[in-house]
Amino acid sequence: MSVETADPPMAPPDVDRGPGLSGYFMVRIAFCVAVAALCLLPFLMVIAISFGEKVEGAGWHFAFDLTNYRRFFVGADWPNSTSTLYLQKLGWSIYYAVIASVIAVVSAFPFTYFLTRLTRKAQTLWLVFLLSSLSLSEVFIVMGWDILLSARSGLPMVFQETGLTQWLKDMGWFDTLRDWGLASPRNVKFKTSVFATVLTMSYLVWPYAVILLYPALSRLDPSLIEAARTMGARPWTVIRTVVIPSVKLALIGTVLLLFVFLLGTYVAVTVFAAPAQQTLAVSIYEAVRGATLNAPFGSAQAVVLLVTAVILLVIGQKLSTAGGKG
Amino acid sequence: MAMKSTLSRRTLLKSGAGAATLAAAGSLGAPLIAQERSLKIGSYGGYFENSLKEHVYPKFTEATGIAVESVTQPNSSDWLVTMQQAANAGNVPADLSLYSRDTMIKASRIGDILKPMDAAAIPNLKYFDDYYAFEDKAGTIGVGAMAWFSAMVINPDEVKTPESWAEFWDTSRFEASLGISKLFNSHFLDVIAATFFEGQETFKTKDGIMALIEKAAEIKPNVALWWSAESQMEQGMKNLDIVGGMYYLDVAGLMAADGFPIKPLFPKEGNPGDYGSWCLAGLSTKGGEAAEFVNFSCDPTTQKLMSLMIGTAPLVSQEAAGLTDAEFAAVSGTPVIHPAYEAYLDMETFIQESWDKMLAGA
Repeated sequence: MSVETADPPMAPPDVDRGPGLSGYFMVRIAFCVAVAALCLLPFLMVIAISFGEKVEGAGWHFAFDLTNYRRFFVGADWPNSTSTLYLQKLGWSIYYAVIASVIAVVSAFPFTYFLTRLTRKAQTLWLVFLLSSLSLSEVFIVMGWDILLSARSGLPMVFQETGLTQWLKDMGWFDTLRDWGLASPRNVKFKTSVFATVLTMSYLVWPYAVILLYPALSRLDPSLIEAARTMGARPWTVIRTVVIPSVKLALIGTVLLLFVFLLGTYVAVTVFAAPAQQTLAVSIYEAVRGATLNAPFGSAQAVVLLVTAVILLVIGQKLSTAGGKG
Repeated sequence: MAMKSTLSRRTLLKSGAGAATLAAAGSLGAPLIAQERSLKIGSYGGYFENSLKEHVYPKFTEATGIAVESVTQPNSSDWLVTMQQAANAGNVPADLSLYSRDTMIKASRIGDILKPMDAAAIPNLKYFDDYYAFEDKAGTIGVGAMAWFSAMVINPDEVKTPESWAEFWDTSRFEASLGISKLFNSHFLDVIAATFFEGQETFKTKDGIMALIEKAAEIKPNVALWWSAESQMEQGMKNLDIVGGMYYLDVAGLMAADGFPIKPLFPKEGNPGDYGSWCLAGLSTKGGEAAEFVNFSCDPTTQKLMSLMIGTAPLVSQEAAGLTDAEFAAVSGTPVIHPAYEAYLDMETFIQESWDKMLAGA
């Protein structure tokens, strides 16, 4: 991911000459207006709505009311009682996004590394396969994992049929799984669990991780590795001291991009996470479209999520550049 | 624009051999082409909407010559947002929509989303209790369509039939085994109020509501699935992820009829009963057609038809609808737990956040 700002838009060399100028200028104006209308307006609407006032038992109207932001940090019943409910949801948003993007990148890294060592033809085939898998929507992927993790059609059935469940019970480990919320008295269960949520989320972004790491890894000069090997470095030492430092920026950039992408995951969280472990994205949807019709509070939550994402990205970028060139 | 095309179609039909075409199309039910009068009706998608399309709308078209275009609603509160935005944009997707009572009251309070219907044009209202014709300052805003229950359900192969909702709190029997709706207004709180407290009275104070929610917190170890979409509960019961919980009586009955291990029950405290109302969109120009449809819907024969074909409970008595005891038992039961609608509206933020806090353990 490009963490640096792009160069200023390239101006054609003959920009200040002849009648082309006004045409070019008009196109630029039109482009700016289109961008403003398509990106900025909805965004400004969300901010404006976040200050709206909710009417109990009805809808809401525009106002300048900071209650929604206060509610985010201390709850609606403040000062009678304080609630960290929404901070907790924000925490889960960040937790899932961080863990899942790190898992995706860590597991995609060796895969991509070996992928770049394959023949051109094999690489192309793999990349086409991965690109086409991106066309699967989140809903489709979640449905697939839902079936794979279901008691009667998926992994728990395999546990049951192969006697693994019984074995776990005999060994006394089954109760530990129950303590972790990964078993009912009858069998192991993976829904709902943090495990299933993180698994699905990393699966969701895994192809992106490969595609984002591929350019950096394929540009890696093989002679560097060969030189290190000739000088007697073991393969792991080569990976640790040559490969990883030279693609460090790509690794961090990929984690950051996937992190932002995963902050808004909705379907996987609603299906696989217990309500106690659900994220702000779900809460936003429920505020806007749910029974309370509280678009202002939904917008306020969205603004807080956005600000958090920006802060974390800035910190991430600082960290990746602070280390200096590897 | 819609008006104009209707007018020209009308002229065309009057001048030509329209009547024959009308009758033919009417018996088929669906096509809008060559229809003189039409009505767009919203209802909850899936099996529910399909049953209306297949069994109820054709009968109406046959009786009145008004063609029905079915519109899919995801549910009632989500639909209210859609209708509100559509009304602002000046073009509504449906003339009549189906709203639960709380959503209807909310729409009435927001204003301009609904418009009153002409009660005089709905003579069949005489079969209904006044409660089902909801009036606000503007007039009759909603007329009852059908009733539905959320019922206790169990997997009869796995669990012994409970006699009371209280048994669901027994962790030695139901640990990590139940499916309950995750929405604060799914009427599970009403079940708790009826089982352990003083029913609707308990909803009158914040302390009462907190007591209900604390009782709900005690069932958390037994709930394996807090569902937000109907299909999650359906899959959960089919897959044995859960062996009991609370679910819609009509859908549970249909699943049982298809051979899935699910049995809806009326425990001694009863089940929460709710109902849907037909409401006319504020921008609709089809007031007359809508009244005719609502009148048709209020007819005890139609109420019976819906009970038999959709599995909803009739809003008229069993005798008026002419349902046998077995037919009636399949769609209804006693006692009925009446939801505390006022509390859900007047203290919605408090109840919603306290409920979510309970779920989140925050």
